[in-house]
Amino acid sequence: MRKFLIKRIFMMLFTLLLITLFTFILMHSVPGGPFTSERQVTKAVQAALDEKYHLNDPLWKQFLDYLRNLLRFDLGPSYKYAGKSVNDFIANGFPYSARVGLITLIFVLLTSIPMGIFAALKNGKWQDMLLMSIATLGVTIPSFVIASGLMYVFAYRLNWVPTFGVDSWKGYILPMIALGGYSLSFIARLMRSSLLEVMGQDYIRTARAKGISETRIILKHALRNALIPVITILGPTIANLLTGSFVIEKIFAIPGMGSYFVDSVTQRDYTTIMGITVFYAALLLSMIFLVDIFYCLIDPRIKYE
Amino acid sequence: MERNEQLINPWDKLPSSNEEREKIWAKNRSFTGDVWFRFSHKPTALAGLIMIVFMLLFAFVGPYFTPYDYSEQVLELANIGPILSVSEAPTEGNYLYITHNMKVIEVDSSGKLIRQLKRRQDDAENSVTYFKYDDDGGMVRLDYSEKPTAILDADGNRLSADKRLWNRSYLLGTDNLGRDILTRLMFGTRISLLVALVAAAVNMLIGILYGSISGYIGGNTDSVMMRIVDIINTIPLTLYVILIQVFLGSGLQSIIIALSSVYWVDMARVVRGQVLSSKQQEFVMAARTIGSSSNFILLRHLVPNAMGPILVTVTMLIPSAIFMEAFMSFIGIGISPPMASLGTMCNDATQALRTSPYQLLMPAIVICLIMFAFNFVGDGLRDALDPKLRK
Repeated sequence: MRKFLIKRIFMMLFTLLLITLFTFILMHSVPGGPFTSERQVTKAVQAALDEKYHLNDPLWKQFLDYLRNLLRFDLGPSYKYAGKSVNDFIANGFPYSARVGLITLIFVLLTSIPMGIFAALKNGKWQDMLLMSIATLGVTIPSFVIASGLMYVFAYRLNWVPTFGVDSWKGYILPMIALGGYSLSFIARLMRSSLLEVMGQDYIRTARAKGISETRIILKHALRNALIPVITILGPTIANLLTGSFVIEKIFAIPGMGSYFVDSVTQRDYTTIMGITVFYAALLLSMIFLVDIFYCLIDPRIKYE
Repeated sequence: MERNEQLINPWDKLPSSNEEREKIWAKNRSFTGDVWFRFSHKPTALAGLIMIVFMLLFAFVGPYFTPYDYSEQVLELANIGPILSVSEAPTEGNYLYITHNMKVIEVDSSGKLIRQLKRRQDDAENSVTYFKYDDDGGMVRLDYSEKPTAILDADGNRLSADKRLWNRSYLLGTDNLGRDILTRLMFGTRISLLVALVAAAVNMLIGILYGSISGYIGGNTDSVMMRIVDIINTIPLTLYVILIQVFLGSGLQSIIIALSSVYWVDMARVVRGQVLSSKQQEFVMAARTIGSSSNFILLRHLVPNAMGPILVTVTMLIPSAIFMEAFMSFIGIGISPPMASLGTMCNDATQALRTSPYQLLMPAIVICLIMFAFNFVGDGLRDALDPKLRK
């Protein structure tokens, strides 16, 4: 177990380093420096800016500096907003993103798993067909379409929820549905097929033969095994929710990290793009790591390689 | 058949000398024929295929039949919906349509837009605007004192706009710059399909090369190559694609490059798995015994054997490429304007969502149809190629 953990942590750090290197190289090889814009700057100003941000140093030195700052959780200044650092953006935006993400994750898990179980129990009946058609729809419709559609119906037409912002709890409802739509459908489908597979196995028949009630069979015997594939894709699901938030935060005007990221992308704010990418990557890698550990803990059959 | 007819009773035993005793009367079906049979007997798969053909026609042939261009702007005719609520005009048989920004457009009885009336003067006190109607000095009065705005008839009564006409000039309406949505939809579909198909082809090529080399050589090469794939796989591809897109700048080419450079990972895994399992089989050993080169074995034996899973992966990859293109265009780093893409159309539509929801509906429907079609075909293909997998 310990060896496994150390190996995984090492792999994670290595991956993170590679991602940092990759984004660093990419962002530093964009044609024209970070201050190239329509507005011409004088040579002296340019030189001063280069001096201030150490842009004259050789690239490897800049990268090492960046890494050194990264270890101190300092992601550097923003090139577009004077006096703001990337840390500020993350500190401002992350609480919103985390809240929306967490609520969505809970919502997804609480609805998709019962949905999948229900569909599996009603296998082939109209309830199953209905739920699975909805799930297929959810997988195929892009989140921004769901978001705009929901916004039109519930915010503009029916006026049930505010059109933007998350000042009240009502503001979280639509982002939650739009953001979670894909994962919800996906997990519901997965849950259904995996439960169906488990229900066909011998040990379930044995349990039935022993006269255990159907509810108990499902909750105690079938669900435990059927949940394993669902846990496996929890990592990708979290990734999906995090990156999906780029668009959702933009549509619902939530001042989260995703909207800072999209803004920095459209404004070519290279340090912010780099910083938020590294932050996202670190977040995701640690989430996937946690899910992996959890996965190993609940299923003793999985060997720590 | 002739011999058969000579027999008095077709159920009689044939003499042992008869050549047709051992004949298999059922028609021989090739593997392709078999796959096609199973594919075409699945209604959803067939529907998906037909939908794709329609989409292709719509995107590549459609633009020849429309009188408009994707970038042609008629600002006076912006935000006009596909269904017009009109009130009667002074001329018999013609109607008047009021736009969202209080302009009056004359429409004929079939629904063709004729002209926009010129604004003459504004009577702010009574909240009435005068529009010139004909050369004889005829005026049309628009009353905006209460919502909804309405045309006043000769006696000053508000005319209700309860007659509905199909917009015949712009079948699906116009967007916020007065561009024909139908035409833009055709070009947007074209871009989406183009991006998806090219990206899929490039990914297929890279994935097959990478996966088959990794699987065929095996050993340390394989572990290193697969470690790289693992690392790429841990990062969400959305981030990658956005970064590459920032680096390359927006445009069709950079989208294709961005998508092609990361999406081959799944393909590489699938191909590697297939090659790994089939390279142990006897036919490969036989090929090696008769002296075939590694290249020949790979290209003529191993890759064709893995074609089924490869095709399935490709059809599943296409919807995600389309999705990613729409996603990037939606956040503003995809196709550069004025070119239309389904994502940019959705993005444009969100600005006028409150008044003209149809602008979002049209591209959204097309995206969903494309996604559905490819998903259905992918599912059908998977079942057809490997019936054992069917659930």
